[in-house]
This record gives sequence, C-alpha cells and structure tokens, in this order.
Amino acid sequence: MDKVQMLLATSAALFALGLLGVIVRRNVLVMLMCMELMLNGVNLSIVTFAQQTASAVGAVLVLLVFVVATAEIAIAIPIVLLLVRRKNVLDLDAYADLKG
Amino acid sequence: MIETVLLWVFAATALAAAALMLVIRHPMRVALALTATMLSLAGVYALLGVHVIAVFQILIYVGAVMVFMVYAIMLLDVRDRALVRSFSPLIVPGVAAGSVFVAVFAYAVWKTPAASAAVGSPSPFSLQRFSVAFLNDYWLHFELVSVLLVAAVVAALAVLEAGRRRRG
Amino acid sequence: MSHPLTLIVVLPLLGFLANGLAGNRLGKSAVSAIGCGLPILAFLAAVKCFLLLRAGGNAALLDTAYTWATIGGSSFEVSFYFDSLSAVMTLIVTGVGSLIHVYSIGYMKEDSSYARYFAYLNLFLFFMLLLVLGRSLLVLFVGWEGVGLASYLLIGFWFEDADKARAGKKAFITNRVGDAGFLLGMFLLYQALGTLDADRINAAFTGPTLPAVSASLVGILLFIGATGKSAQIPLHVWLPDAMAGPTPVSALIHAATMVTAGVYLVARLSGLYIHAPEASALIAAVGVATAFFAATIAVAQTDIKKVLAYSTISQLGFMFVAAGVGAYGVAVFHLYTHAFFKACLFLGAGSVIHALGGEQDIRRMGGLARRIPVTFATFAVATAAIAGIPPLAGFFSKDEILWYALASSRGGSPLLFAIAAATALLTAFYMFRLLWLTFFGRSRMSAEAERHAHESPLSMTGVLVVLAALSAVGGFLSIPHFLGSLLPLPEVKPEFEHVETPLIAVSIAIAFAGLAAAAFVYGGDGARGERLRERFPALHRVLSGKYFVDEAYDRLVARPLYWVSDRVFLRLGDRTLLDGSLHGLAALGRRTAAGLSRVQNGNLQLYALLVFVGIVAALAWSARHG
Repeated sequence: MDKVQMLLATSAALFALGLLGVIVRRNVLVMLMCMELMLNGVNLSIVTFAQQTASAVGAVLVLLVFVVATAEIAIAIPIVLLLVRRKNVLDLDAYADLKG
Repeated sequence: MIETVLLWVFAATALAAAALMLVIRHPMRVALALTATMLSLAGVYALLGVHVIAVFQILIYVGAVMVFMVYAIMLLDVRDRALVRSFSPLIVPGVAAGSVFVAVFAYAVWKTPAASAAVGSPSPFSLQRFSVAFLNDYWLHFELVSVLLVAAVVAALAVLEAGRRRRG
Repeated sequence: MSHPLTLIVVLPLLGFLANGLAGNRLGKSAVSAIGCGLPILAFLAAVKCFLLLRAGGNAALLDTAYTWATIGGSSFEVSFYFDSLSAVMTLIVTGVGSLIHVYSIGYMKEDSSYARYFAYLNLFLFFMLLLVLGRSLLVLFVGWEGVGLASYLLIGFWFEDADKARAGKKAFITNRVGDAGFLLGMFLLYQALGTLDADRINAAFTGPTLPAVSASLVGILLFIGATGKSAQIPLHVWLPDAMAGPTPVSALIHAATMVTAGVYLVARLSGLYIHAPEASALIAAVGVATAFFAATIAVAQTDIKKVLAYSTISQLGFMFVAAGVGAYGVAVFHLYTHAFFKACLFLGAGSVIHALGGEQDIRRMGGLARRIPVTFATFAVATAAIAGIPPLAGFFSKDEILWYALASSRGGSPLLFAIAAATALLTAFYMFRLLWLTFFGRSRMSAEAERHAHESPLSMTGVLVVLAALSAVGGFLSIPHFLGSLLPLPEVKPEFEHVETPLIAVSIAIAFAGLAAAAFVYGGDGARGERLRERFPALHRVLSGKYFVDEAYDRLVARPLYWVSDRVFLRLGDRTLLDGSLHGLAALGRRTAAGLSRVQNGNLQLYALLVFVGIVAALAWSARHG
C-alpha cells in the first residue's frame, strides 16, 4: 500500500470511528468530541487529495473546515450546558423529547 | 525514508487514540485521547508539507476547541448514569455497521490500483503562498467565514443570555 | 300544409306546455278552454286526414317531422303514418279523449290541482297519438313509455295519499317488466331487418323471402310488452289498483285508449304475426285465459270501479283472442266498440260516485234509478252493449269474435269458443249484477248519501248521452270491412261454414241468459244473492281476493328480491366489500403510519445510526458497481 492509500484508509477509519462513537457513547460531551473526530478525519482526506495538485484550494478548504468546527463547538457547548442544567443528566436517553 | 516511517507512526497513533476514545469511560480522559489524535494529525500534515495547516491544527483545534471542551467537562462533572454504563443500547447494530463499513472500505481500497500521484515530497506549502491565495482568489470565502464567526459570537451570547434569564 | 298530420300530435303537446307551465296563473275557464279545445282541434284535424285518406283510396299519408339521429348508415326519423288502422285509432283517441276532457270539467271542478290535471291529460293524449301515428317502432315505443308515464302521473294524481301513490308506482313498474320483452323484440327486428318502420317490417315478412329471424320469437317478445300494457296475465295486477286515480282518467286511459295499445301493436304488425303461428296461438290462449279469469273475479267484487276494471281486463282478453286467431280487423272492431261503452260505463260510475259524494261500494247503493235518471239510462244502454244485446254495438263485435274463435283457419277451435262463450255469459251476468245492485231495489245508501244524491251537471251528462248513443249505433259501422284491405280476415274452416247463423242466435241467447240470471239473483230484495254467497264461502273468498295473485307475487318475487337487496347488496356488497375496503385502506394507511412513526423516537443516536447504515449501503453499492 502506498502513502496515499494508507492516508485515505486512515481518514476513512477516523471518520468511521467518529460516527461509531456518536452512535455508541451515551455521554453528551463524548458525543461532541466524536463529532470533532469525524471532522478531523475529513480534514485528513482533503489534505491528502490537495497535496496531489499544485493549487491552494485544499488548504483554503481545510481552513474553512477549521473555522466552521470552531463556530460549531462555540455554539454547541453552551447549548449542551443549558440543556444539562435543566435536566441535570448527561445521558443522551434523557433528551428524547422530540419523539413521535 | 525516515519521513515515511514517521508518517506511518503518526497515522497509527492517531488511529489508536481514536479507538481508545471509544472505550475510555471518563470524559476527561476521552478529551485527552482526542487531543492526542489531533496532535498526531498535525504531525501528519507537517510531514506532508502543509506546515500552515499543521500549525493551524494545533492553534485552533487543540488550543481553542479542546480547551473549551475541557472547560465544559470540568463544569459539567455530574455524577450520573453516563459514567456507569457508557454504551448506548445501539452498540450492537453500531458495531455491525462499523465492521461492514471497514470491510467495504478495505475492499475498495485494496481494489483501486495504486494511483501513485505526486508521491515524492513536494515543495512545502508556504504561508506566504497560502495567504496570497486566501486573500486574493478566495476572498469571498474569507469574508463569509468572518460573517460566520460573528454570527457564532452573537449566537453564543444569545444562548447565554437566554440561560441567564431562565436562571433568573 | 298538405295534410295536418303532425298537427294532430303537436296540439295536445301545446296544451300540456301551456297548462303545465302557466296553468296556475290562468283561471279555471282558461285552463278548461285550452285543455279541451286543443284535443277537439286535434280531433277535427284527424277527421280532415281521414277524409283525405278516403279520397286517396286508402293510400297511407306520411309525414316526416324530423330526423332524430343518424348513426352509421341508418337514420332514425320521427315520422307519422296514417293508414286506415291509424285512422280508426286516431279518431277514437282524439274523439273519445275530447269527450272525456269535457266531462272532466264538471268532475274535477272542485279540485285544487285543476290545471295540473288537464296538463297531464293533454300529455297523455300527445303520447298516445305518438304511439298510434308513429311509423317506426321506435316512435311507437316513445309513445308507449310516455303513456306509461302519464298513467303513473294520473293514477297517483292525489299523491298525498300514500296508497294512491303506491298504485301509480305499481302500474309503472309492472309496465316496465313488459317493456323488457318489447325492447328485446325490437332489437331482434332491427338486427334482422335493419329497420324499425312498421310498414317495412310487415312487407319484409309478407315478401318472397322470409327474414333470418324467428317471427314467433319476436312475436312472443313483443306480446310480453303487450301483456304489460294491456293488463293480461301475468302482468294484469296493476289495472285494478289503478282505479285509485280520478274516474275520467280510468275511463280514458284504462278503458278506451292506453290499455288497447297492446292490441294495436299486434294489429299493426299483422304481417309478422301471420307468419308466427306459435306466437299467435300463445296470444289466443293468454287472451282467453285472462278473459275468463278476470270475469270470474268481477262477479265477486263490490267496488263499482273494480268491477269495471276487471271487466276491462276481460274484454281486452277478448280482443287478444281475435288477434290470436288472425282476425285483426275484428280485434280492432271490438276495441272501437269497447271504447264507447266502457268509457260510458266508467264515466257513468263517476257520475254515480259524484252524485253520492264519494261512495264507491255497491253494497251501499241501490234505488238510484229514479234519483239520477240520465246516468241510469246511459249506464243501462252501455251495460246492454257490453253484454252483447242486439242491436247495440257490443253485440256485433263480440259475435264476430266468437265466430272467429270457433271457425278461423288460423287457430280457431271449439275449446277456444267454449271458454270465450262462458266468459261472455259471465260478462252479461256480472254487468247486470252491477246495474241491479247500483240502480234497482231498495236503497242501501247511508243517510248522508241519500240527501246528497243529485244528477250531475250538463258537462258530464251530455258526454254520457253522446257515448251511450255511440254505444248503441256504433256497431253498424263495419270496421273489419273498412280495414279489410289492410287487415284481411282469415279464412273460415269449411266444416263450420254453416254454423255462422246459428251462432248469432247462441250469442243472443247467452246475453239474455246472463241478464235473466242477474235479475233472478239480485232482483227483488237481493236475498238470493246473499244466500248464494253463503253457500260457497271458499269460492267467494278466492274470487273476491282476486285469486290472491298480488299476495303470491309479493311472496315469490318481492320478498326474495328485497332479501337479496338487503343481505347481498347492502350488507355484503356495500357495507362489507365497498365500505370495508375503503375503511380497510384507511386503516392500512393509519397502521403503516403508526409503525413508521416509531422510527422517530427522539433518540439522536438512532438517527445517526440510520445515517451510518445509509452511507455504508451507498459505499457497498458503489464498490460493487465500480
């Protein structure tokens, strides 16, 4: 396996692990962290592909992903904070209010 | 030669730490595992020649995002069920789907011919080149992310305001 | 216009429109003027056409009003055909019809729906004229249905009474059953001949090559329609109930004109029936059976109109006997005389009812001869006519029928003659019974009726006198001779040739025997009649219960039909199948939705899992397909 294949496999594995973590873990904060892991996996694949061309598109895109991840986490954590303060529970099962 | 070995080492570390994230129970330790993953990835980026992104990875992700996560974990250290039973009921279908995914992906990767692109170490991607591109060709995206960040700040304030008003 | 043929038909239609749409706003005299004037004008137009017909040597007049439809290669026109047969019918319909319209002025004077009555009466006249003047069987059928409609409207004229409305419904539905046969016959004719014009049909059957359809089958099918309209067995049940309508309606529709449409149909298609011996035999058999059957019932009836209704059924049976043995001209002759005396009888009954203020039960009449003399005289003349006493009209036509029933080479037989003669005897008996119980003897009226009894106004008695006169002298006009070129009389069997004159004596003897028997049984104080009834209670019950035919129909036809409707169509078909499938579909949708909504249980991780599964599936698919 050459370098590119290995890196792509790693990025896919990271993404899969992140998604699996979202599904499998109960703790809300751990879920958020697994989402970050997914984003990281995607970043790796972008960089791998961008590296094969000579333009700056890849780097710019990665930076955009950074910014979006930051904005996202900046909002997500306060929301989680407020939710948890209401119910005093970090377990995701307690937040199934939108059922139906 | 050494670069290839280091590349493999960093990739393996990232994977191992990510796998650990799934099984570690305490959220604080999970955060540390994630930080380890991110640092390894920064190393990979550096070895690939995009130093700009490697630095940004550490600055933004580890320096801002993970710090914020750690703050949140420390604030919300609530003794609850999540610490006792850490896996949701969907673990079986989840793992099943995950293994299928791995199988499919491994098959796909193994099948594709080794499209060896510019494997040789390319010229490093300099900061100057990056900033010129970012502010010249992709200035629209630059502006948009600025707007996004402003929006995020406003939203965060609003959320906190709502929270403060509820708490009286 | 060279001949006012279409005008004859259109005039009553105008009367219907005028009185129907604006009748309530015009006064009673205007309604009477329009309602009676237009039929009288139609009668005058018919007379004119008749004179033209004679002048042209009995060549038929033809008038095409308009083309109804052109389908494929064939066109259907509304055309009117006036030959000698149509002439007789048209003159009867418009003549007797006009007289009855005039009578109605007096009879319906106090009714609140005066205009509606005359509108319906004119409508009936219009349809009847379509029937007798139509060239094509299709136009005839329109008239056929239309008179059924008018009959329904007029029988149920006082529809506030549920029984009367039900009688109208019964008439219409029974007619429709017969019409199914009529339609099938028409379809067969059209398929075989490509035309429905009566004269062309006759020509096709009397021509050199016979058409490729069984004349007997068509004949029987058309006769089924005739049994419905002319109240023969088994579809006779509507006529007695139809007496619920006003008496002039009974006279016009159920005595003189509509019920004779069946006889007219057979006579019109004589060319077909000559070549249909099985059908003719059936007609004769049904006719004589109905005649005898109805006569036996009439003997035991106590309502004056019901006696006359069964008498009508019986006389129609006679007409069909004549038609069945090939003597179509004789059948039309009896139709013609019957129109006069039966109309006179019905209108006379109406006069009696009017005089007594609504009483119809003959057990509560009696001794009226001196109180209402004109009615009595006309009623007596008409009764003698129907019994067959010479030289009144009924004698001539009935004698001809008996003669041909015995001696016709196309189906006459001694058995037929015997039953017909027995029926004639019964006819004389029950008619004179009616006369005796109504007009003679001690008065059995209620005190109120006694005080009320008075002679009817001139508009009513005048008509009675005219009709009685026609019943007396009408027989001298030899209709069979007039129709001879169109409807030739059948040959007589040689062994009976010498019996003709003795037979006349036999007919006269039968008539007087009936008179004598009735006078004997019901004369004096009527006690002998009572004793007769007590000696045969079971027979009396069967006869006065009309052989329980209605009850049989109800048990055999109506109730099973109702059961099928209720159990099979309503419960099984409508509720279980249709509603059930619709509700089932709705329930299916609801349950599917309930099942599917369990996916949305609010659990974020389940959603993420589903996304993951989707991604994996997409990847697997793209990996397989390159």
